This record gives sequence, structure tokens and C-alpha cells, in this order.
Amino acid sequence: MSTTWLPCGVYHQNYSQDQAWFQTNFIRGKMILLFAILFIGIPLVADDYVLSVCNQIGYTVLGALGVQLLIGFCGQVTLGHAAFLAVGAYTSTLLILEFPWPQVLLDAGLAYPISIFVAALVAGIWCVLFGLPSARVKGFYLILTTMAAQFITVDFIITQYVSQIGGRGQAFSLPPGTIKIGPWVIDSDLKVYYLMLVLAILCVSLVVNLLRSRVGRAWVAIRDNDISAEVMGINVIQYKLFAFFVAGFIGGIAGAFWISNLAAISPEHFPWFWSLWLVGVILIGGVGSIHGVIFGSIFMVVVMEALQLIIFWFMELGFAWAQPLFMDFLFVKEAAFGLAICAFMIFEPNGLSYRWWQIKNYFNLWPFSY
Amino acid sequence: MPHESNHAADGLDIPADLTIPKLFYQKSQEYGKDRVAMREKEFGIWRPISWQEYLDNVKYLTLGLIRLGLVKGDKISIIGDNRPEGLWAEMAALCSGGVAVWLFQDCLIDEVRYIIDHSDTRFLFGEGQEEVDKALSIFDECPKLEKIIWDDPKGLRHYDQDCLISMEEVIALGREEEKEHPGRFEELVNQGTGSDVALLFYTSGTTSLPKGALLSHHNMLTMGKHLMTVDPCYDGDDYVSYLPFAWIGEQMMSISCGLQIGYTINFPEEPDTAQHNIREIGPHVMFAPPRMYEQMTRTVQVKYLDAGWLKRKLYEFANWIGYKVANLKFDKKPTPIHLKLLHGFAYATVHQKVKDHLGLSRVRHAYTGGAAMGPDHFRFFHALGVNLKQIYGQTEVAGISVVHRDGDIKFDTVGHPIPGTEIQITEDGEIITKSPSVFLGYYKNPEATEEALRKGWLHSDDKGFIDDDGHLVVFDRTKDVFTLRDGRPFSPQYLETRLKFSPYVKDSWVIGDKRDYVTAVLCIDYAVVGNWADQKKLTYTSYTELSQKPEVYELVEQQIRQANQDLPESARVFKFINLYKELDADDDELTRTRKLRRAFVEKRYEDIINALYGDVDTVHIDTVIKYEDGREAHIKTDLQITTLTE
Repeated sequence: MSTTWLPCGVYHQNYSQDQAWFQTNFIRGKMILLFAILFIGIPLVADDYVLSVCNQIGYTVLGALGVQLLIGFCGQVTLGHAAFLAVGAYTSTLLILEFPWPQVLLDAGLAYPISIFVAALVAGIWCVLFGLPSARVKGFYLILTTMAAQFITVDFIITQYVSQIGGRGQAFSLPPGTIKIGPWVIDSDLKVYYLMLVLAILCVSLVVNLLRSRVGRAWVAIRDNDISAEVMGINVIQYKLFAFFVAGFIGGIAGAFWISNLAAISPEHFPWFWSLWLVGVILIGGVGSIHGVIFGSIFMVVVMEALQLIIFWFMELGFAWAQPLFMDFLFVKEAAFGLAICAFMIFEPNGLSYRWWQIKNYFNLWPFSY
Repeated sequence: MPHESNHAADGLDIPADLTIPKLFYQKSQEYGKDRVAMREKEFGIWRPISWQEYLDNVKYLTLGLIRLGLVKGDKISIIGDNRPEGLWAEMAALCSGGVAVWLFQDCLIDEVRYIIDHSDTRFLFGEGQEEVDKALSIFDECPKLEKIIWDDPKGLRHYDQDCLISMEEVIALGREEEKEHPGRFEELVNQGTGSDVALLFYTSGTTSLPKGALLSHHNMLTMGKHLMTVDPCYDGDDYVSYLPFAWIGEQMMSISCGLQIGYTINFPEEPDTAQHNIREIGPHVMFAPPRMYEQMTRTVQVKYLDAGWLKRKLYEFANWIGYKVANLKFDKKPTPIHLKLLHGFAYATVHQKVKDHLGLSRVRHAYTGGAAMGPDHFRFFHALGVNLKQIYGQTEVAGISVVHRDGDIKFDTVGHPIPGTEIQITEDGEIITKSPSVFLGYYKNPEATEEALRKGWLHSDDKGFIDDDGHLVVFDRTKDVFTLRDGRPFSPQYLETRLKFSPYVKDSWVIGDKRDYVTAVLCIDYAVVGNWADQKKLTYTSYTELSQKPEVYELVEQQIRQANQDLPESARVFKFINLYKELDADDDELTRTRKLRRAFVEKRYEDIINALYGDVDTVHIDTVIKYEDGREAHIKTDLQITTLTE
């Protein structure tokens, strides 16, 4: 049954209507408004700083989407997702910098778009590789194997070997003008913003579409009880690995997207903490909810930015204690992250998406409470 | 949602030889594959059935019945929930020249036997195992019964009696028949005339054994046409069929109106989900007995009590405006502009949503009939902005004869006669009716026919009068009018419905004919009072125990005091008792349409009545109650009597 709250007189005669995206005029209107704000409103009013925050949110959404898919929908807890972002970013960068592109493609500005796709594929395959243990191990043990992905990929392979390609040492710098799609050189926050929007919408649509198909139902069955799922005839290993592939694929897109926002990439961009951070995002947003990915990303990015602003403001006001905090904001950020997770686990264990659901229900059930 | 071209109902003539099958054939040809005849909710979606599928199913079912040996005039009984197969069976019965007999789904075995036997049924359509079991257990006692046809195979795998046949098999037989005699169906459809008997309808009867009313095709078709002349329906409308087909009101909406105008009939997933399914569909027309509206009112009141402060206050405010506007409408006074504005606000903030929750957002006409409805309930719906109308009718006129007109609604009347209908009041105050829809007579009961049909006038046994505006006022069943101690006449149903306006009271029974004072026996609403008790942290284990809690008595007393307000002193409830069980049709206390069978309960609860008019404050009960499956339970308890002091 449709999970959307439908007004009286709206009913479905077949399952495609039942599973349709925007089922009522109200929701359609709401979505049009949302798209108008995203595509026209924000670019009109936002300055570069706000846009950069938005881009960060978008990057977090893209990263956390795969984590949500694995943890929230397939029940495979992962703590090494930054590795696949790194694979995506490095694949894309290396392709742009090192691959002997035919001049035609370069002129057409297709190098970057193609590299995004290839990066996604490579990251997806890489993710399947580290998903293989999930055929045998579950839960806590799986977490450790996914952490291995992080250390093997980023700390070992990328740092020790990949970074040496071309003799550049630690970082790969991306000269201005290398990142271009067709005739557009991605050189401003606004352009990154639009790229982010398009990619985020595509990826969210991809995941939501998968979730409302047979694949999604299989994943949820595996999450809820893998033995029952197997008994019902679901090829558990195949679907788990497919989940890893899709998660890695989206991670690859996230990584490949993020290089457009960077002047240079180095392994430090993909620390293990970032993997943990992405899990935190979905915990706060709500496990098992696509809304949760978006709410969690907005919350985490905006709260951290606000915290930094507040500390900066105190420093400006001349408080001596604010100075070291501002200098070492990274540690403050980590502490705040821990605190936020604790607070959410205690006060809102179902995450922000549950709160959102409750708010919607408050009005849907109006003027009653049930 | 799909909303096809709208054609109003008028201009449809009913020639004397038009029958329901002919009309059905014509409509199916006209609408074909592209229009939805009915929908059934299955596995979460509303599976549509086109007119073509409807026609095909009916066609082969008809031919199958013919192959099984059905001849013109045979009776075909149908029992089961509301579902497409039930309507196909009925239509097939009519197409094959037979007479359809509907049984209430929850009929006890004795009633089933009586009706099957009395109607000389040859074929019985049952839904699934439950109905098949019922039919098998009476099969030997009904010698005329030949075949039992089922359509839901669940649980029937090991049933191998010769008299059983599945609907699929009958349809397969029909296909063979079609191959051998192409065009047979069309012949069958064309054979009848309007005056042939279409339905044999057993009236619920508050007083005696059910009587079988014979209704012709013409009766049914004129009924629908005349109703729709008053309140047009459109072919894009949705209608939800969830009340028993054995109730004439449902036949009127699904067959008489539905077939003529071709609106879509929607069947709920299960009887239990009906309310929810109505909300999904949002029907344009609705006809239900007062208990359905009472239930809706109760739901709203209880939900209101449980809502948060802000929501409650807004609801109260909106209701206050709603009542004001509704009262002005009843008085036919214009609404002042400031009230109109406030009313718009109330609609936008509250009424719209409440209607949405109740599934009444799209309703154009909502009818209530079959029993008396209290003015409080009536006002409640009008305050919400629902166009609720009283109707008056009976099985013997194939549905209804009197209805409110839009904008001319008085909650103590039932309105004006529909076109083609004449209403008169005899010298004794009895309501008599003459119309093309008046039935042919009772089956195998000439005495009763003679009594009811005199010189073409249908005698209803209902008392009433016509007021200054020409509205018919139905007082009550003749026998049910009380004389109070000060000599004035009094309708107990008026007080009963007033008491039922309280969400805590599910059923009420008022006593006091020619007595010193009025008393009431009340049945609390188990769910609502139970919820209330949970909040008060009162413990209870059963309905009986809960009903006898002193706190519950206090609660009920408050409700009675409210109902007593603005009643003449002699008509006020003086003593009351909470009954230890809910009144139930299975115990013969109510009719299947939930009307109180006063004479029966008076006899059954004689002890209670004696105690209410005696000098005691408890009454000992030692009784047996019957469950639907025939099990019996022994109840022993003491009931409290509470006297209301000023």
C-alpha cells in the first residue's frame, strides 16, 4: 500500500499508481516549489559562502546515500565508505590528468563526465570486493572488514602507490579549466552547486527507484531477517553484493563530483573519520529513510558551520578562550559530532526523518491526533 | 481521479417492458471496455472491472444456471459480503428470468433455513466456506434447494458434496452453452417485461417473522429514476457498496440508481475495512442507516476528546460557527456576511479536514433512513457542511418514497414525496403511499398482502402527519408511541437518539409507556468507555464489569442529564440501568438493520423493567447469551439502578 498520506477521494487502481512518486496535486505543488527554490531561489540570493555550504551538504548527501542504502535498507553496517569516495575521486582525477583522451572528446568537454561514470563503476566494483566478506560474516565482524577497506584503500594503496603516479608526491593538483562539462568550465561555487544538484537528484532518484522495485524489497527483506529472506527465495549474497555495488557506485559519483570543488586532492580528504561521519549523518537523519540522508546532511553541515561562526564571533568579541578553539576547530567538530550522536540516540533515536513524519502527521490528522 | 463526462439522469423514460436485464445489457454495450463498472479493493489496490467484464461474467453465469436447469421464475438466493461476485450472481439470476433473494450475511442458521425454505430457492450463491457450511447444514431440510454455488475456494478443498459447484464451473458450463446455442443469452435478456418479479425481499420485521415482499423490475427502475430526478447522480460518480444487499437501501443505490446512471460501484476489501475504504474512495452519494452516521459522530467526538489543546479549541470554534450557520439554514434565514467569512475560515481550518477523515469530502447527497435519526446527529452533519437528508421508505416501495429537497431541510421531518409518489394520511394517522414502485405483494402470504395493499395504497403501519410546509413527519411505528403520565404522546426514539448522541452510549432503550416516569436501559460503547476507563486507570476485564463500575455510572449519568435538558419534566429519564451486554441482532433484540425490537426486549428483560419501576436499586441477572456461531454463555451478575435526583 501506498505509504503516502492520501486525501479522501484519491485511490489507486493498479500498483504503478500505488507506487507513483508524486501522488497528489498538493505533493506535486510542493515538489515544484522545492525545485524552484533549489534551482532558482537559492542561486539568486546565496553568496559564495552559502553556496559552498550547500555544496558541502550535497557532497554529504551523495556520500551518505550509499551508507544509508547499505545500513538503512540492506542491514550491512559499513564503516569504510570514505574509501569508495576516494576511489571515485582518484579514478576521476587520474583519468582527467593521465588518460590519453582523443582530442575530439576533450574539445567536446566530455572527459570529466565520462570520468565520473568510470569512477562510479570502479568504485562500485571496489566496493563489491570489500562486500564479499558479507557473504560469510555479519554485524560486528562485517564492520571490521569494511574498516579494512578504509585502511587498505586509502592509507595503503592510495597513499603509498596511487599518489606516486606521475611523480607528483602527495597531492594531485587540478589546474583550472581541467574540470569541464561540455562548454562549461566548473570554476565557481555556483557551477559546482548546479552540478551537485543534478547529481544529487539523479542519485536520490536512482536509489528511490531501486527501493520501490523488486531489488529494494529484497534488500529490505534481507535487512529485516536474512534467513527469512533466503527462505522466500531471495538470493541473499547476490542482492547484498548488488547493494555494495550501488553504494560504491554512488560513492564513486560523490568522490568524482567533489574534485570539481577542489584545487588538489590528497588522501587527507578521505580520512577514516569521514566514514564515521557519514554513519553519524544517517543516525541523526534517521536510519532507513531517504529523507533522513538529506535532513542528516543539512543538520550536520549547518550545525558545524554555525558552531564555527559562533566561536569566530566570540573570538572577534575578544574572548581569549575562543582563540585556541578556533585554531583547533577540527577537534571541536569531532567533540560536537560525538555529542550530537549521543543526544540523538537519547532524545530522538529515530532521527530527524521521524520528527518530519510526525510534523506531517500532525497536519494530516488535523484536527485530531489519530 | 477519473472523472468521465457527466450526464444527468433526467430524460430517462421507463417503458413498461423495460427490465433490469435489458437495461443492464444496454448499458454494458454502451460503456463496454472503457468504463469501470465496479471496483473491488484487493491486495491494497482498487481493481477495476469494466462493463465488458461485468457483462461477460453475468452472461456466462446466466447460461451456466440455465444449463443447470433453471427455468423462468425460479428463486436464486444469494448470501455473502458485498463483492462483485454477489452482484454478478444477482444480475445473472435476473437475466436468466429468475428471482433474486438476498440473505443477510450474518443471518443465523434458523433464519437462513426459513428464508431458503419459504422462498422455494433452487440455487444458492454463497461466498465461501462459511456460507457453504451454513447451506450444507440446512440442505436436507430444504428439499427444493439443488445447488450451492461458491466462489472463494479457501477451505473448500475437501468438500466433495454433489450439491456444491464453484462459480468458475458454472461459468465454464455457460461457455459450453454459448457454443451450443449462440444468442441464447440475448434471448433470455429479452424475454421478460417490467411487471415480472425481480426480487423477493424478506423484510426485517420489528414485530414478526420475515415476510417476503415481491418487487418487480418496474418497481425497482421507477424507484431509481424518481430518486434521481430529485437528486441527480452522474456517470462519473463513485459509490461505495458496503451495506448488506439484503437491505433495500443498498439495492436501490446499487441496482435501481447505479444501473440507470452507470456510476461506479466500489466494494471494500473486508467489512471491517469499510470505513477506511470509504475514506479512500470518497463517494459522491451515500445512503446508510442512522447507525452509520451515529458511529461517525462518535468517532469524531472521541477523537476530539483525545486531541491536543490547540486542535480542540479550533475544533470547538469551528463547530460553534458551523452550528450557527446550520441553524440559520434550517430556519431559512440568510447568513450574514461576517458569519459567511467565519464559516469560510472554519471550513478551511477544520470542517474540510473532518470531512476528509470521514470520507465525506466529495459527498453531494448523503441519505439516512431505515430508522429514526436524532436531531443532534442531524445538526452535527449539517454543521460540518454535509448535505445530509432524511428519507422515508420501506422495502414495499422498493426503497424510498419521501426525501428532503436541497435547501429545504428540516431535521424533524423526512421531506416531500418523490415524483410519481402520492402520500396520504388516513384518519387514524397512518401513512399510506401510492406509486409505481409499490410492490406486488407478499410471497405466499395473501392475508398480509391484503392488509398492506388496499385499493392500490400501501399501508405502512407508520404514524405521521404532514406539517405546514408540506413535509411529512413520521412519528413512529404505531405501536411505539408512548403516553406519558401527564397524558401527552411521546416518541421514545426521540429520546433514544438523543441519548445516543453521547459518544459513550452505543444503544439506548427508553421505557415509560403509561408509567409514572421514564426510564432508560443503556448500552455503553465498549471501545470508547474502555478507553476512557484506561485513562482513568480503572481496571476491568469484561463489558459486564465495565458497565457496572460506579465511575461509569457517573459518566453515563452526566450524559443523561445532558439529554434531559430542555425536555418537559414528564419526559425526562428518571432512572436508568447499564445493561450487562450490548444489544444484538443475534439475540433477536435488534433487527438486522439494528432497529430495536421493543416488544421482544420488554419480554426478555422483564426483570429489569420491574426493578426499574419497583423499589429496589439492584437487579440480579442470570441469563444465557448466544454467539454468532451458536455457542452460548451463561451470565450471572447484579445490575445497579441509578435514580437521577435534581
